[in-house]
Amino acid sequence: MLVVIVALLVVPAAAALICLRAPAAAAQAVTAASGVACFGLVLALVPAASRRDLNYLSYLRVDAISVVFLLATGFLYACVAVYCVGYLARARSDPGFSAHSRRFYAGLNLFAWAMLAAPMMSSLALLWVAVEVTTVISALLIAIEDTDGAAEAAWKYVLIASAGLGLALLATVFAYYAGAQVLGQSYNLDFGPLLQVSGQLPHTPVRLAFGLAVLGFGTKMGLVPVHTWLPDAHSEAPTPVSALLSGSLLAVSFYAILRYYQVATAALGPRFPRDVLLVFGVASLLLAALYLLEQRDVKRMLAYSSIEHMGILAIGVSFGAPIALAGVLLHVLAHAAAKGNAFMGAGVIVTKFATKRISQVSGGLDLLPWSGPLFLLSVLALGAMPPFGIFRSEFEIVAGGLASGGNIASAILIVLVTLAFLGLAATTNRMLLMPRAAQVPEPVPARVASGGADGHSPPPALQRGEPSAWMVVPVAAGALALLVLGVHPPAELTGLLARAVHQLSGAA
Amino acid sequence: MSLVLPIPIIQFLQAATIMGAAPGISGVIARVEARLQGRAGPRVLQPYYDLAKLFRKEALAPQGASWVFLAAPLAAMTCYLTVPLLIPVLTTFGLPLGYMGDILGGGFILSLASFVVAMAALETGSPYAQMGASRAKTFGAITEPVVLFVVFVVALITGTDLPYALAATVRSSAGQIVRPAHLLAAAALFMVILYETGRIPVETHTGTNEFGMIEEARPFEHSGPYFALLKWGSAMKQLILYTILLNVFVAPWGLAATASAVAVALAIVALLAKATGLGIVVAVIDNSFAKLRLFKITEFAAAAFLLAVLGVFTLYLGGG
Amino acid sequence: MAAVAAPSVFSGGANVVAVGVLLAEFGMFRQALLRDQVRLYAAQSALISVLAVIVAAARHLPELYVLAGLSAALKVVIVPILLRRLLRGTGRDSGEHGWTDIAGSGALSLASTVLLAIAVAAFGFFSVGALAIRSPVLPVTALAISVSVALVAFVLMIIRRDVASQAIGFFSLENAISLTALVVAAGLPFILEVAFLFDLLVVVVVFGLLIRVHHGRAESLSTADLTSLRG
Repeated sequence: MLVVIVALLVVPAAAALICLRAPAAAAQAVTAASGVACFGLVLALVPAASRRDLNYLSYLRVDAISVVFLLATGFLYACVAVYCVGYLARARSDPGFSAHSRRFYAGLNLFAWAMLAAPMMSSLALLWVAVEVTTVISALLIAIEDTDGAAEAAWKYVLIASAGLGLALLATVFAYYAGAQVLGQSYNLDFGPLLQVSGQLPHTPVRLAFGLAVLGFGTKMGLVPVHTWLPDAHSEAPTPVSALLSGSLLAVSFYAILRYYQVATAALGPRFPRDVLLVFGVASLLLAALYLLEQRDVKRMLAYSSIEHMGILAIGVSFGAPIALAGVLLHVLAHAAAKGNAFMGAGVIVTKFATKRISQVSGGLDLLPWSGPLFLLSVLALGAMPPFGIFRSEFEIVAGGLASGGNIASAILIVLVTLAFLGLAATTNRMLLMPRAAQVPEPVPARVASGGADGHSPPPALQRGEPSAWMVVPVAAGALALLVLGVHPPAELTGLLARAVHQLSGAA
Repeated sequence: MSLVLPIPIIQFLQAATIMGAAPGISGVIARVEARLQGRAGPRVLQPYYDLAKLFRKEALAPQGASWVFLAAPLAAMTCYLTVPLLIPVLTTFGLPLGYMGDILGGGFILSLASFVVAMAALETGSPYAQMGASRAKTFGAITEPVVLFVVFVVALITGTDLPYALAATVRSSAGQIVRPAHLLAAAALFMVILYETGRIPVETHTGTNEFGMIEEARPFEHSGPYFALLKWGSAMKQLILYTILLNVFVAPWGLAATASAVAVALAIVALLAKATGLGIVVAVIDNSFAKLRLFKITEFAAAAFLLAVLGVFTLYLGGG
Repeated sequence: MAAVAAPSVFSGGANVVAVGVLLAEFGMFRQALLRDQVRLYAAQSALISVLAVIVAAARHLPELYVLAGLSAALKVVIVPILLRRLLRGTGRDSGEHGWTDIAGSGALSLASTVLLAIAVAAFGFFSVGALAIRSPVLPVTALAISVSVALVAFVLMIIRRDVASQAIGFFSLENAISLTALVVAAGLPFILEVAFLFDLLVVVVVFGLLIRVHHGRAESLSTADLTSLRG
């Protein structure tokens, strides 16, 4: 297993280095190969991690919880790497394309590398460093498109997220302080030993560390009220990057919070950590649901949906019952697949219709024979429609909530999720199901103007057909994965989740 | 054989030293500043000659000014003669009249002096004098809280607000000097002194810049002996403030521990030496910085306030 | 009212240096030139290295000497040089010496900002005082000061409306947290501290690149135009 883990660290980094020098076609191929290979490597880890924790080289630690998040990242890395082939193809004739695509692929590989490294770090300090690295790389990736919106979004993102990570670093320092009281001054912030002695840790520093960690890593996760960078960054980034940001990066930040949650629950008892997470979760869900009701930009809408789902994750953890925790971990996987799909589908729509504004898109089902229905399925999956994976995970979360006595919170969750679905469904309906001719043109502000639409002329005529097959296959794979997760998760996965839940409930 | 001075003599010497040395300190500062600028500069004793000249001149009062206009310089001078009795000028032990008022009382008396001079300036109807008075009081409203916080620091450190007690505390150990509260309070007080004595960066002491004058504008309409009293008074205020800063905060050494004549004489010399040293520092600052624009003086006052408040905060947790 | 006892010379000196760090943070509200802002950051980092050396000498922690030296080399020398390189040409009169003018970019006047920051710092002081965290190497006042510096750095990032001050505000936030680490985590393994330092280097480069991108589009360092993404 050491070989697998080291390969997971080496392959994306090597791919990034190669992409810096290789011509565009080679970079594409290398990235796609790296993505698929990493996903395969993560799948190879699943059986081993379901049985025991893997500790190597004193800095690497892979347990069941890590593998859940590695799966989310690995799957999306593979899908996005293939998707990029089609996504960048439309700009092939632009001057400077090969330099741009080299930077893009190198950045993408580095981004995936950092996200794969984070769940495998055994020390909380290195976990923080990995999350910080993901922040800066993704900020550069957001700014890689040369638009005003992207520049603004990248600056807001890097400033707010880094400031939040500053708080998370403070949390790490206090976690060290707490650990050093028991384990001695040379304690290196290893997670395993900290968890073992957590019964003896002094309460105040642990409380402080947990609160700051939720606030700090929660900034990167998109918890309200520190979510303000998220809609801008996820909507202005290039679509493959948005998919990775929403599907994987938010999950990795949640992973960091989960680690602090484990320590805090073991040291302080369950009440305080769960109350904190419940407050943040409900706030996120409420704000996202309300904002979803009036969105004008398709990617921004999906970004708010991400905030909604992160809120659901936080609420799920706050319920604490084992079935809720199982739902949370399954939700991480299902959300990665569904959100990735949705963004990739949105990318196809944006490519086809040359605009992100919902009011300018219509007749999607007619014009996109594959991506249209797939996008519809993705959005419905995000709204927790059976038989997809998100339905199963949210069902488990609500069941856990009712089992642990959180009736009011469960009721709030259901109401708000329904509200969010209302918002998603209305806009998707307009984009996909409304026939093209019935679209009412709308004056478009200069910044987001699509090519050709000057506001009052009839919409340009579009041909039926997919922009690229490369952009359909990953979405289909994602839909398949969602179906599998919802109907019958494989036995190894269930075993992995069972062990992870066991660890999260504090019985490790 | 050492001559022991009776206590009333020492008390008298306190006020007399301040009164006699004040113009000299002003002269030293002016000369050092000129020298730094490459000029020869006036003689150190020039202010004494100026005062003598002014006493011989005729006094005029504007029409419509009442007795306040003429009484103000005298009242101010009285205040400036009272304050040296309250602060440690020459001795480490408290003199009987020194218990008349604590450091807060000293502050009140100084403010009273400033107040009556401002009243007199307002009476004149001259635009420059009125402008100077109103500016002085406006900025005074911002700098007074700074002085209060400095007093709080003194009170928190020593448990009393007698300046003698703080001087003794500072002398007692090296830890008392290095502590942040002490240094911050001293720095804040120094900034307030720059404001009160009308130095860069608050206003230029040399020359008349009508748009920037604050302290300098207030005695604009007085003449003759009254003007001399006002000038002397402001020089005394300068020396009093220097004395508070030096003998209470920064360098409370060289004070007489006994009432012997030799010790008191040495104390006088030490005080003059320290005041001269501080005056040189002020002259260097005068030559190094530019005058702040009027509305930026609030930033200067805010900085002083920051230092004073931080002094109190660091004391709160017990390590300051 | 009882008198507050005097701290030891070591405590007093260490607290004075920590207060210097806080004053440098306040100074960043005022700077009108990017060059001065960067210098103030370098001065602040130098003060923290000095404090690390003091702690190393008084508490016999030889690793801290190396860490102080490395941190000084990085934050006092390399980061300002990097920033200078990356931000060359963003001055109003773009050229070799085009260190730009970022004066008056505060949302509030300077005096009001200082008062607000004092209130925020007070919150930091008194909340740390309420926690029972005792450090083995430095007095608790130093911890309170470091938390206050972090809070004032947040105020700096919020109030000043130009990208350079916001970036330097973030770097000074990292300074504050390394000061906190010095107080409560002086024994943190050396390799982890080095990891934090090199991570800071990467972050500086990325921030510089993004400032260039911003300047390239907006022709200035002001964030006044970053208002188009709403809802």
